[in-house]
Amino acid sequence: MGLFVILYFAFLIIASCLAAFYEKRSVFLMIFSLTMVSFVLGIVGGAGALRFVAITAAVLAFAAGISYAFKEFLIAIAPRNAAKELKTAPLTAAFGMFVIFTYAIAGIFAPWIAPHGESEVISSAFAPADANMLLGADQLGRDMFSRIIYGARNTVGLALLATLAAFFMGALAGLLAAVKGGWFDQFMGRFADVIMSIPSLIFALLMLSIFGPQIIVIICAVAIIYAPRVFRLTRAVAGNVVVMDYIEAAKLRGEGDWYLIRREILPNSTAPLVAEFGLEFCFVFLLVAGLSFLGLGIQPPTADWGSMVRENATLISFGDITPLIPAAAIALLTVAVNFVVDWMLWRSSGLKEM
Amino acid sequence: MTDTSAIAPGLKKSVLLKIRDLKIDGYTGETWVPIIKGVDLTLHRGEVMGLIGESGAGKSTIGAAAMGYARDGTRINPGSSIEFDGIELTTSTEADKRALRGSRIAYVAQSAAASFNPSHKLIDQHTEAPVHYRIKKRMEAQEDAIELYERLRLPNPGEIGFRYPHQVSGGQLQRAMTAMAMSCRPDLIIFDEPTTALDVTTQIEVLAAIRDIVDQFNTAAIYITHDLAVVAQMADTIKVLLKGEEVEQQSTEKMLASPKEEYTKSLWAVRSFERPQKARPKDATPLISVKNIDASYTGGEKVLDDVSFDIYPGMTVAVVGESGSGKSTTARVITGLLPPSKGEVLFKGEPLPPKYTDRSKDQLRQAQMIYQMADTALNPKVRISEIIGRPAQFYSGLKGTALKSRVDELLDLIELEPSKYYDRFPPELSGGQKQRIGIARALAAEPTFIICDEVTSALDQLVAEGILKLLDRLQSELDLAYMFITHDLATVRAIADEVVVMQHGKVVEQGPKEEMFTPPHHPYTDLLLSSVPEMDPNWLTTLLEERGVDNVGEAADV
Repeated sequence: MGLFVILYFAFLIIASCLAAFYEKRSVFLMIFSLTMVSFVLGIVGGAGALRFVAITAAVLAFAAGISYAFKEFLIAIAPRNAAKELKTAPLTAAFGMFVIFTYAIAGIFAPWIAPHGESEVISSAFAPADANMLLGADQLGRDMFSRIIYGARNTVGLALLATLAAFFMGALAGLLAAVKGGWFDQFMGRFADVIMSIPSLIFALLMLSIFGPQIIVIICAVAIIYAPRVFRLTRAVAGNVVVMDYIEAAKLRGEGDWYLIRREILPNSTAPLVAEFGLEFCFVFLLVAGLSFLGLGIQPPTADWGSMVRENATLISFGDITPLIPAAAIALLTVAVNFVVDWMLWRSSGLKEM
Repeated sequence: MTDTSAIAPGLKKSVLLKIRDLKIDGYTGETWVPIIKGVDLTLHRGEVMGLIGESGAGKSTIGAAAMGYARDGTRINPGSSIEFDGIELTTSTEADKRALRGSRIAYVAQSAAASFNPSHKLIDQHTEAPVHYRIKKRMEAQEDAIELYERLRLPNPGEIGFRYPHQVSGGQLQRAMTAMAMSCRPDLIIFDEPTTALDVTTQIEVLAAIRDIVDQFNTAAIYITHDLAVVAQMADTIKVLLKGEEVEQQSTEKMLASPKEEYTKSLWAVRSFERPQKARPKDATPLISVKNIDASYTGGEKVLDDVSFDIYPGMTVAVVGESGSGKSTTARVITGLLPPSKGEVLFKGEPLPPKYTDRSKDQLRQAQMIYQMADTALNPKVRISEIIGRPAQFYSGLKGTALKSRVDELLDLIELEPSKYYDRFPPELSGGQKQRIGIARALAAEPTFIICDEVTSALDQLVAEGILKLLDRLQSELDLAYMFITHDLATVRAIADEVVVMQHGKVVEQGPKEEMFTPPHHPYTDLLLSSVPEMDPNWLTTLLEERGVDNVGEAADV
């Protein structure tokens, strides 16, 4: 029995005793069950399994710690009203915000952060990681780490633009439909149904093969695919607001549609729309990555996470995890955005108010 | 600290519910704030206790606590004791408490429509509790339900239970809910404002039914309400609450005859506000003249049938009637939201375009509305300064400092401190303050005519009285004409000059207030007038004797 195993169990037992002594019931139950599971794990898997548990716990603790610190940092620098809202954020949301923040920094300052150029060939193909190349080289000998940094800029930026465009079109149409009603509402609704009835990937492939894989075409295609969903949600949310007495009061005052949308309806529907924005961003992001993987998205040599997975896919057969790194970057961002969106949904659902 | 002498000798029975030093905290997002600050309550078997107080006094919270339940965001303080029939509820487990609820303690909510599950039949919801607690078999429970429906004088007791909640009227639903609460023959029922949402005529039948059934089964009850006249009919003992503290407790007769505390006296005095009646100015053209209006909603039946009445400048016309009588529809026709199918609305002798979209800015400015629910009438995401300032900006084109001083002026007019409320949002205000903002928004347009749609019915009596006084003052200062839509005849008595009584979309009777309140009345007016609860504890008994038990509410023959 190595020193590590002894320390491992000593730590767990002392921690559970302390938790029990200070009557932290849930903490105690968690730690002590872990202790008992570890006995079995230790017998079955040996010290390796225990080391794995310890590392996982340490990573989780590290993530929790950095999330907590980041949340406190945001509270400290935010203005008072925003700080009050931030205090209600759970650790997962703080973690999500931290990841998004990191990606944003990486994307914005890519040329300064990345050690090498985006399409600069600096070594042999599939060279292993060394001091110069943190994550090794790709199939043409370009630095993987630099390409991931640039990829944040390209993939995330593209997805963000496409989502914004989808939201602009969908939300505007939804608000107008809710305010105007009648034939306009019917027409927009049926039009949205028509777009939604076409499978999204096939629609995107069609558009891209007709107009060629340019950035602007990708943005338009993705925006058209996702706008109907936004339209439906906005129309439903605005529909609930439109029947309120204050809208009636404004209509009787003689206000125009634009004032109603801008000053009366929009402030009351932002919360669900922002939450939806987060969700749609994930879907758009995955669709863009999927298009790149199929070779119809962002074209080489521009770095892009989706195509990076495809280009390096052969390495998988050799048991190398390099192609999984851009995939992990996609997964991490998706999870992070969802953490933040969950928090926003919780805020807008009104669950906190009794 | 129970005043045992307050309980009539005949009712002196074993104690059922004993609450000692009840303290409940509410969570405001950051800290726990006390809501209930140490209330004692003793309830004997078969006794009915009335809890009264303004909203926010903690009535409903105490009602829920009597079941050992703390609503979300609240917690019962460890020092409190709630003893139900010898069982201490604060320390018993959730499972034990759950076993009590429904079987031994039942709850009747304010809105029966919102409390019934719309997708199950009434009788299935009724039998759920007795079957769940294995008190009765399903068929037995159904038979019992039908018997209870009969006792509560529901029409077609054998059949009504097999309807869905939306197929039954509001008053019937409230009675069905009382029957449901009775299904396990509980020892204690908590009635949380069961008649607040009902019309006066419907309220009577529910009150009579509740009182009978509580008597018949000797059930103890806590009756929560803010309507004193109602509590006077129902309760043996009255407890007055203010901001989570007990003001006083007395037997009903004593409480009504000689209230001790100042606060109680002020509650009692609320209904005394009355304004001298004004006569129609001679040879004046009516400000608003509704002429032979017929109206219906798209494809539906006629909601208004040949409605005509006049409103003269500076006068208050009260439009009364139960819900569904077409009062609010008339207002919608006048404002132009619902173009009439026949007839027209004249403004100072000139016909108004039937649709509001066709009216000029000035025509729109002249007629303003104040709504019943200030919560939905004020946009929660817009600052007070903009809510009030927008009409001024929109109609008069005021800008910058002129606009700000106009908003300040309006806030002064509604007796709210401008510097304090200028930048606030509606959710930060109390119900009465919100209603005042609604009034200020209407005034900002500088109208000559304001439609007040049930403006006081969602408010407590003290607050409502303040609003009525404010409206009265504004009327004399600004020479406004009001159309006052209400079902509360106390409000009519307080503020109206003329009264229009509506039933089934028709004007039944109209005339000056004094004439309307002196007999002979139209039978329907008579029914409305006699249905308004009075402070006399024997009022309901007398009324039921006069009308006959089966001749109240919807069953009443007009």
